[in-house]
Amino acid sequence: MRETRLWSLHLLVIPIIVVLLGTHFAIIHYAPVFYGMSVEEARSFEVMIERGRSIAQFVLYILLLAAGLYHGLYGLRGIIRELPLTPALAKLVDVGIVLFGLFIFGFGTYVTWWTFSFKIGG
Amino acid sequence: MNSNSPKSYPNRLGLKGWVYAGRYTFERYLYLGHRLSGMGLIAYMVLHIIETANRMRGVEAWQGLMALFASPPFKVVEYLLFAAAVFHAMNGVRLLLTELGFFLGKPKEPVYPYSSSVMRHRPLTYVIMALAGLIIILGGSSLFFP
Repeated sequence: MRETRLWSLHLLVIPIIVVLLGTHFAIIHYAPVFYGMSVEEARSFEVMIERGRSIAQFVLYILLLAAGLYHGLYGLRGIIRELPLTPALAKLVDVGIVLFGLFIFGFGTYVTWWTFSFKIGG
Repeated sequence: MNSNSPKSYPNRLGLKGWVYAGRYTFERYLYLGHRLSGMGLIAYMVLHIIETANRMRGVEAWQGLMALFASPPFKVVEYLLFAAAVFHAMNGVRLLLTELGFFLGKPKEPVYPYSSSVMRHRPLTYVIMALAGLIIILGGSSLFFP
């Protein structure tokens, strides 16, 4: 049952990734189409900070971080768990992936928070 | 001992079994591609999180990094990443449809010559892969010939 829930969540986050990643692409890689600015301008420090200080962007990136990391690391877990592993090693893989995911999520959240709380000229 | 107890069959082929273990079908190679592209994308995502943290080192560090990403070798890497993402997403759509039971046909009596659900699903596979190929080519044209 636990595995069914984890697998279902792996599928359920797909629409979230599609929408949020699509938004991320629209904001940065398709800035000339949607915002009338060049990709270089959209990637500039000032514009990136200005963007990151909005609450919508903050929420978008935290959700994308969580959904993307879950989908990717759950997939990676499945690939590794398919290899001939002892039960102890399989458990170690599970714990290692969870800890790695939490660390990267924490780090990404910190960077997003740093941008959100950036004081211009301060 | 109870003869009905489940017997475990270890994955003896390991990684080699990914590539070849007999007559693999087109879908099996898509499965391999899905795994490889997925591992590439998760590796990139982690690197992307670390690399965008460079903003905390200030304007110069950020601009230096962006200048590096605008160089030709990184354009090629960016394109490969784009191709991997498109392939993974399009094949993912196919897998989701299969998971939810679409385009597999109705179950019927197995009468020779057998018509498997994989074969009934194959036209959709070809359409989705042709679309993925088209998007990858179009994406390349806008990236390399803006």
